[in-house]
Amino acid sequence: MMSVRVRAFARFRELFGDRLEVAVSSPAMIRDVVMALGQVNADGLLELLDGEGRVKNSVIILVNRERITGKGREEHPVADGDEVAIYPPVAGG
Amino acid sequence: MATKWQYILQSPVGDGRVHEMIRITREDFDPAQLLDEARSKELGALVSFLGVVRDDGIEGMDLEAYDEVAEEDLARIKDEAIARFGVLRVDIVHRVGMLAVGDNIVMIVVGAPHRKAAFQGCEFIIDRIKESVPIWKKEYTADGSRWVPGEHD
Repeated sequence: MMSVRVRAFARFRELFGDRLEVAVSSPAMIRDVVMALGQVNADGLLELLDGEGRVKNSVIILVNRERITGKGREEHPVADGDEVAIYPPVAGG
Repeated sequence: MATKWQYILQSPVGDGRVHEMIRITREDFDPAQLLDEARSKELGALVSFLGVVRDDGIEGMDLEAYDEVAEEDLARIKDEAIARFGVLRVDIVHRVGMLAVGDNIVMIVVGAPHRKAAFQGCEFIIDRIKESVPIWKKEYTADGSRWVPGEHD
Protein backbone atom coordinates (compact mmCIF):
# COMPACT_ATOMS: atom_id res chain seq x y z
CA MET A 1 0.00 0.00 0.00
CA MET A 2 1.03 3.59 -0.47
CA SER A 3 -0.24 6.90 0.78
CA VAL A 4 -1.49 9.78 -1.36
CA ARG A 5 -2.27 13.25 -0.05
CA VAL A 6 -5.59 14.56 -1.28
CA ARG A 7 -6.70 18.17 -1.24
CA ALA A 8 -10.29 19.06 -2.02
CA PHE A 9 -11.77 22.50 -2.58
CA ALA A 10 -15.13 24.27 -2.53
CA ARG A 11 -18.03 21.79 -2.79
CA PHE A 12 -15.63 18.85 -2.72
CA ARG A 13 -13.97 20.12 0.44
CA GLU A 14 -17.36 20.06 2.11
CA LEU A 15 -17.79 16.44 1.04
CA PHE A 16 -14.36 15.04 1.84
CA GLY A 17 -12.46 17.56 3.98
CA ASP A 18 -9.73 19.93 2.83
CA ARG A 19 -6.70 17.70 3.41
CA LEU A 20 -6.72 13.95 3.80
CA GLU A 21 -4.51 10.94 3.20
CA VAL A 22 -5.82 7.92 1.35
CA ALA A 23 -4.17 4.51 1.14
CA VAL A 24 -4.14 2.84 -2.27
CA SER A 25 -2.33 -0.26 -3.49
CA SER A 26 0.76 0.29 -5.63
CA PRO A 27 0.97 0.93 -8.56
CA ALA A 28 -1.90 3.37 -8.47
CA MET A 29 -3.65 5.70 -10.83
CA ILE A 30 -5.92 8.70 -10.41
CA ARG A 31 -8.99 6.50 -10.58
CA ASP A 32 -7.85 4.51 -7.51
CA VAL A 33 -7.45 7.70 -5.51
CA VAL A 34 -10.87 9.03 -6.50
CA MET A 35 -12.56 5.72 -5.69
CA ALA A 36 -10.82 5.65 -2.29
CA LEU A 37 -12.70 8.86 -1.43
CA GLY A 38 -15.81 6.67 -1.29
CA GLN A 39 -14.54 5.35 2.06
CA VAL A 40 -14.64 8.91 3.40
CA ASN A 41 -18.04 9.76 1.96
CA ALA A 42 -19.86 7.23 -0.23
CA ASP A 43 -22.58 9.67 -1.28
CA GLY A 44 -19.95 12.30 -1.94
CA LEU A 45 -18.16 9.98 -4.35
CA LEU A 46 -21.34 9.71 -6.40
CA GLU A 47 -21.19 13.48 -6.99
CA LEU A 48 -17.83 12.98 -8.72
CA LEU A 49 -19.00 10.24 -11.08
CA ASP A 50 -21.17 10.28 -14.17
CA GLY A 51 -23.85 7.71 -15.08
CA GLU A 52 -21.22 5.31 -16.39
CA GLY A 53 -19.05 5.48 -13.31
CA ARG A 54 -16.40 7.67 -14.91
CA VAL A 55 -15.09 10.78 -13.19
CA LYS A 56 -17.14 13.71 -14.50
CA ASN A 57 -15.37 16.03 -16.92
CA SER A 58 -16.34 18.93 -14.66
CA VAL A 59 -14.16 17.51 -11.87
CA ILE A 60 -10.77 19.15 -12.24
CA ILE A 61 -7.83 16.99 -11.16
CA LEU A 62 -4.25 18.02 -10.44
CA VAL A 63 -1.32 15.82 -9.50
CA ASN A 64 1.49 17.68 -7.77
CA ARG A 65 -0.10 20.97 -8.89
CA GLU A 66 -0.16 19.97 -12.57
CA ARG A 67 -3.56 19.74 -14.17
CA ILE A 68 -4.27 16.32 -15.72
CA THR A 69 -6.60 16.44 -18.72
CA GLY A 70 -7.70 14.24 -21.59
CA LYS A 71 -9.66 11.08 -22.07
CA GLY A 72 -7.16 8.83 -20.33
CA ARG A 73 -6.65 11.01 -17.28
CA GLU A 74 -8.13 8.48 -14.86
CA GLU A 75 -5.29 6.12 -15.79
CA HIS A 76 -2.64 8.74 -15.02
CA PRO A 77 -0.13 7.21 -12.57
CA VAL A 78 0.07 8.42 -8.98
CA ALA A 79 3.10 7.75 -6.76
CA ASP A 80 3.56 7.41 -3.02
CA GLY A 81 3.44 10.85 -1.38
CA ASP A 82 1.93 12.61 -4.40
CA GLU A 83 -0.53 15.44 -3.87
CA VAL A 84 -3.78 14.94 -5.76
CA ALA A 85 -6.17 17.90 -5.82
CA ILE A 86 -9.79 17.83 -6.91
CA TYR A 87 -12.05 20.79 -7.45
CA PRO A 88 -15.13 21.96 -9.34
CA PRO A 89 -15.06 24.63 -12.09
CA VAL A 90 -13.54 27.85 -10.77
CA ALA A 91 -15.47 31.04 -10.08
CA GLY A 92 -12.96 33.67 -9.00
CA GLY A 93 -12.46 37.21 -10.19
CA MET B 1 26.75 66.01 1.06
CA ALA B 2 24.17 65.42 -1.65
CA THR B 3 21.08 67.59 -1.57
CA LYS B 4 17.67 66.02 -2.00
CA TRP B 5 17.54 67.33 -5.57
CA GLN B 6 20.85 65.70 -6.47
CA TYR B 7 19.68 62.45 -5.02
CA ILE B 8 16.58 62.47 -7.23
CA LEU B 9 18.65 63.21 -10.32
CA GLN B 10 20.99 60.37 -9.51
CA SER B 11 18.24 57.84 -8.91
CA PRO B 12 18.42 55.10 -11.54
CA VAL B 13 15.36 55.16 -13.81
CA GLY B 14 12.99 52.30 -13.20
CA ASP B 15 14.81 50.96 -10.15
CA GLY B 16 12.81 53.21 -7.89
CA ARG B 17 9.67 51.25 -8.73
CA VAL B 18 7.74 49.61 -5.96
CA HIS B 19 7.95 45.92 -6.57
CA GLU B 20 5.20 44.26 -8.56
CA MET B 21 2.69 42.25 -6.57
CA ILE B 22 1.06 38.93 -7.39
CA ARG B 23 -0.85 37.81 -4.33
CA ILE B 24 -3.72 35.83 -2.86
CA THR B 25 -4.48 37.45 0.48
CA ARG B 26 -6.92 37.57 3.37
CA GLU B 27 -6.13 41.26 3.83
CA ASP B 28 -7.95 44.16 2.21
CA PHE B 29 -6.00 46.44 -0.12
CA ASP B 30 -6.10 50.12 -1.02
CA PRO B 31 -6.95 50.49 -4.74
CA ALA B 32 -5.63 54.06 -4.95
CA GLN B 33 -2.34 53.04 -3.36
CA LEU B 34 -1.88 50.05 -5.68
CA LEU B 35 -2.49 52.22 -8.70
CA ASP B 36 -0.19 54.97 -7.48
CA GLU B 37 2.62 52.54 -6.67
CA ALA B 38 2.51 51.24 -10.25
CA ARG B 39 3.61 54.59 -11.68
CA SER B 40 6.98 54.80 -13.37
CA LYS B 41 8.60 56.84 -16.11
CA GLU B 42 8.20 54.35 -18.94
CA LEU B 43 4.51 53.69 -18.30
CA GLY B 44 2.36 56.14 -20.21
CA ALA B 45 -0.78 54.14 -19.49
CA LEU B 46 -2.02 52.43 -16.37
CA VAL B 47 -5.28 50.47 -16.65
CA SER B 48 -6.85 48.97 -13.55
CA PHE B 49 -9.69 46.56 -12.93
CA LEU B 50 -11.36 46.46 -9.52
CA GLY B 51 -13.79 43.63 -8.78
CA VAL B 52 -16.25 44.36 -5.95
CA VAL B 53 -18.89 42.24 -4.17
CA ARG B 54 -22.20 43.08 -5.85
CA ASP B 55 -25.52 43.15 -4.01
CA ASP B 56 -27.38 40.21 -5.54
CA GLY B 57 -29.60 39.89 -2.51
CA ILE B 58 -26.71 38.34 -0.60
CA GLU B 59 -25.39 39.04 2.87
CA GLY B 60 -21.84 38.24 1.94
CA MET B 61 -19.57 35.72 0.29
CA ASP B 62 -16.78 33.43 1.38
CA LEU B 63 -13.92 33.10 -1.08
CA GLU B 64 -11.62 30.12 -1.13
CA ALA B 65 -8.49 29.40 -3.18
CA TYR B 66 -5.95 26.67 -3.79
CA ASP B 67 -3.40 29.30 -2.77
CA GLU B 68 -0.18 27.80 -4.06
CA VAL B 69 -1.60 26.90 -7.46
CA ALA B 70 -3.58 30.13 -7.75
CA GLU B 71 -0.45 32.23 -7.20
CA GLU B 72 1.50 30.16 -9.74
CA ASP B 73 -1.35 30.58 -12.22
CA LEU B 74 -1.51 34.34 -11.66
CA ALA B 75 2.23 34.62 -12.28
CA ARG B 76 1.84 32.59 -15.49
CA ILE B 77 -1.06 34.78 -16.67
CA LYS B 78 1.05 37.84 -15.99
CA ASP B 79 3.90 36.45 -18.10
CA GLU B 80 1.44 35.63 -20.87
CA ALA B 81 0.07 39.19 -20.85
CA ILE B 82 3.60 40.58 -21.05
CA ALA B 83 4.46 38.28 -23.96
CA ARG B 84 1.22 38.87 -25.88
CA PHE B 85 0.62 42.58 -25.44
CA GLY B 86 3.99 44.03 -24.53
CA VAL B 87 2.76 45.39 -21.21
CA LEU B 88 5.57 46.21 -18.79
CA ARG B 89 4.02 45.94 -15.38
CA VAL B 90 1.30 43.76 -13.87
CA ASP B 91 -0.03 43.69 -10.32
CA ILE B 92 -2.75 41.25 -9.28
CA VAL B 93 -4.19 41.04 -5.78
CA HIS B 94 -7.08 38.64 -5.10
CA ARG B 95 -8.72 38.32 -1.72
CA VAL B 96 -10.03 35.21 0.00
CA GLY B 97 -12.11 34.89 3.16
CA MET B 98 -15.44 36.35 4.18
CA LEU B 99 -16.43 39.50 2.29
CA ALA B 100 -19.45 41.80 2.53
CA VAL B 101 -21.33 43.64 -0.21
CA GLY B 102 -19.14 46.48 -1.46
CA ASP B 103 -15.86 44.88 -0.39
CA ASN B 104 -12.92 44.66 -2.76
CA ILE B 105 -12.42 41.21 -4.31
CA VAL B 106 -9.69 41.59 -6.88
CA MET B 107 -7.55 44.34 -8.35
CA ILE B 108 -5.44 44.22 -11.48
CA VAL B 109 -3.12 47.02 -12.51
CA VAL B 110 -1.49 46.86 -15.93
CA GLY B 111 1.13 49.35 -17.06
CA ALA B 112 2.30 49.84 -20.64
CA PRO B 113 3.88 52.58 -22.71
CA HIS B 114 0.52 53.19 -24.47
CA ARG B 115 -3.15 52.72 -23.61
CA LYS B 116 -4.09 50.00 -26.09
CA ALA B 117 -1.72 47.38 -24.72
CA ALA B 118 -2.72 48.27 -21.16
CA PHE B 119 -6.45 47.88 -21.88
CA GLN B 120 -5.96 44.62 -23.78
CA GLY B 121 -3.64 43.20 -21.17
CA CYS B 122 -6.00 44.03 -18.32
CA GLU B 123 -9.04 42.46 -20.02
CA PHE B 124 -7.01 39.38 -20.93
CA ILE B 125 -5.89 38.94 -17.32
CA ILE B 126 -9.35 39.17 -15.71
CA ASP B 127 -10.81 36.83 -18.35
CA ARG B 128 -8.07 34.26 -17.73
CA ILE B 129 -8.54 34.51 -13.96
CA LYS B 130 -12.24 33.74 -14.32
CA GLU B 131 -11.51 30.79 -16.62
CA SER B 132 -8.77 28.96 -14.88
CA VAL B 133 -7.43 30.17 -11.53
CA PRO B 134 -8.57 27.91 -8.65
CA ILE B 135 -10.72 30.33 -6.66
CA TRP B 136 -14.34 29.77 -5.61
CA LYS B 137 -17.12 31.85 -4.08
CA LYS B 138 -19.86 30.76 -1.73
CA GLU B 139 -22.69 33.25 -1.39
CA TYR B 140 -24.60 33.64 1.86
CA THR B 141 -28.22 34.79 1.75
CA ALA B 142 -30.95 35.06 4.36
CA ASP B 143 -32.08 31.56 3.28
CA GLY B 144 -28.75 29.78 3.33
CA SER B 145 -25.74 29.47 1.09
CA ARG B 146 -24.85 28.46 -2.45
CA TRP B 147 -21.67 27.97 -4.45
CA VAL B 148 -21.34 30.34 -7.38
CA PRO B 149 -21.24 28.06 -10.41
CA GLY B 150 -18.11 28.20 -12.55
CA GLU B 151 -18.61 29.52 -16.05
CA HIS B 152 -16.07 27.23 -17.65
CA ASP B 153 -15.19 23.54 -17.92
